[in-house]
Amino acid sequence: MTCTEHRWSSRTFLPWLGAGLCIALASPGWAVPSYARQTGMACAACHTVFPELTPFGREFKLNGYVLDNIKQVTGIDTSGGPTLAINSLPPVSMNVMISYTHTGAPLPDSSLKGALAKDGDVLFPDQVSFFYAGKIADGLGAFIQLTYDGAADHFGLDNTDIRYARHISFGGANGNDHSLIVGVTLNNNPTVQDVWNTTPAWGYPFALSGVAPGPITSAKIDNGAGGFGQSVGGVGVYMWLDSHFYAEITNYDSAIPGGAHPLDSTDSNVVQGLAPYWRVAYEQRWDRNSLEVGAYGLNASTHPGNGTALAGPTDKYRDAAVDAQYQFIGEDHLFTVLATYISEHQTLDASVIDGFAANTDDNLKTLKVTGEYFYRRKIGGMIGYFSTTGSTDTLLYQPAAVTGSANGSPNTDGYILEMDYLPWLNTKLQIQYMGYEKFNGLSTNYDGAGRSASDNNTLYALLWVAF
Amino acid sequence: MKTDYLVALVMSTSICCGGAARSADVAADAQKAALSKTIETCGTCHGINGRSVSPTFPNLAGQTAPYIELQLHAFKDQSRGDPDAQAYMWGMASPLSDTMISALAAYFAAQPPAKGTPGNAALIAQGKTLFEQGVPARQIPPCASCHGANAAGLATFPRLAGQHAPYLLRQLLVIQSVLRTAPVMHGVIKDLTRDQMQAVVVYLESI
Repeated sequence: MTCTEHRWSSRTFLPWLGAGLCIALASPGWAVPSYARQTGMACAACHTVFPELTPFGREFKLNGYVLDNIKQVTGIDTSGGPTLAINSLPPVSMNVMISYTHTGAPLPDSSLKGALAKDGDVLFPDQVSFFYAGKIADGLGAFIQLTYDGAADHFGLDNTDIRYARHISFGGANGNDHSLIVGVTLNNNPTVQDVWNTTPAWGYPFALSGVAPGPITSAKIDNGAGGFGQSVGGVGVYMWLDSHFYAEITNYDSAIPGGAHPLDSTDSNVVQGLAPYWRVAYEQRWDRNSLEVGAYGLNASTHPGNGTALAGPTDKYRDAAVDAQYQFIGEDHLFTVLATYISEHQTLDASVIDGFAANTDDNLKTLKVTGEYFYRRKIGGMIGYFSTTGSTDTLLYQPAAVTGSANGSPNTDGYILEMDYLPWLNTKLQIQYMGYEKFNGLSTNYDGAGRSASDNNTLYALLWVAF
Repeated sequence: MKTDYLVALVMSTSICCGGAARSADVAADAQKAALSKTIETCGTCHGINGRSVSPTFPNLAGQTAPYIELQLHAFKDQSRGDPDAQAYMWGMASPLSDTMISALAAYFAAQPPAKGTPGNAALIAQGKTLFEQGVPARQIPPCASCHGANAAGLATFPRLAGQHAPYLLRQLLVIQSVLRTAPVMHGVIKDLTRDQMQAVVVYLESI
């Protein structure tokens, strides 16, 4: 699950430890066995190694999650038109994650000043998710995830994407030279509807510690501390032409779970008007390879909230990103490269007035590159690099033990090394090491309380099963 | 009274006939809609026109109808068990009725086949020789003897012309390792080397 703290929260609301520890560089992604049961296809049809999608997995999702071979409960009207087509068994699945997290240096005790907490944290469960994932009706399908978060002791709606898709063919003598899928998506997290594992919601790392410290901010479209995460709801339309060209526009508005409703000044990061998300991509497949290049972005105007009225000037965020994916899916060897670069321009009129930011114009740039290799979908690993650089803003990024920045900079970079073993396609044993070269602006004493970036280096061992 | 009876009989007959015709229309429409929906499903991977974008999935356009029928039955009864057949087609073929299988085979057989894709000229030349003449020294008969001089296929011998080379290569490998059962082919290709396979599939993709 994505945490959605806001970048000024370290000063205003949070002590040096707490919700800010929720790292959420990326949401854990999920593979859903109910799709396998619905289609009669093995996981390997849709996934290289779950949750990353194969070209067929992308087609399945863009088709609205509706391909099926399971017995249907159907109904027709008096003219023979279908009134119902639903799986005879509900497409329900479950995921269980159990983890161990160890950081480079112990974290401060949450109540005793100067004392240290126990080093090493077992989460049983780290997360447990229940899914309704499959066909709802002809052309209508869903991926609905309810997650219990072991660290937060909280149960709530996680990534959700409900979509309706139609297939249209046209052109040529037989009227079928071209194939077009057009669809509508209703979802709660920008990019959760995407299919290339390069964009934030399903990007790498697919699972990471929820209790290790995370960087102070992220772009709005990204899924770190500054992102919208699952606090928005959006409706969009998309098209997928000839399995090559993808285009989508989705409009989001705030849909913040919990808190005051209708949203009021006690909420934060509240969208003013609508926040349009756009996406274009081109994919080419040859032999056992596929290459995708694309671009995406989000424009949002928000009220800072956090005790200030949801009226008057707003903060404006303009995110523009490029991404690329290369996959080779051989009998024995599988390679994937995932890359994205996100550039965000912030015009913080409201935050400057409210004293949350020092500069009217800030920017934030994030690069993530990941390489993966698997042997027979059984054993493999990943190596990743991530970097965020941005404007120095001493009010936006303030000193605070562990979560803050001593020099007002959001600059963070590091690497991820991961080894995975899958005794079965639906069971993953993962050991991941995340190392930071720089954290919230500095390598040493980055928080003004003596903590080094490497103190946040995290070893994360995870058992992840889906059934 | 008699007239009334006749009128009633004619009326009831015409109502019955009209009802039967309407119900036949509805059934035909439903069948047509079901076929169109199933073609959409197949088209997700194989292309609605039977010409697939991804070389993982074979072109079906212009394939011989008996071969498509044979394979769909083999997927449905799980007698074709190579990894891709299990991963993709066991599930997809399981709900297909015999009527639907025949209709799908007829539809895809009637689509214009994929055009050849040019490839490495030396490999193509080598593959053409192998396809047309076999390898007499190793008792490998010409492929053309069953698949036709133009590789257009015949009855249950599949069309190979214009097929994706990576798909054909994978089939040769799974047939040679008997992961996919194909009685005639087991004997024919048992001594075919990987390089020879590569040459012949590049040739077939090019025509």
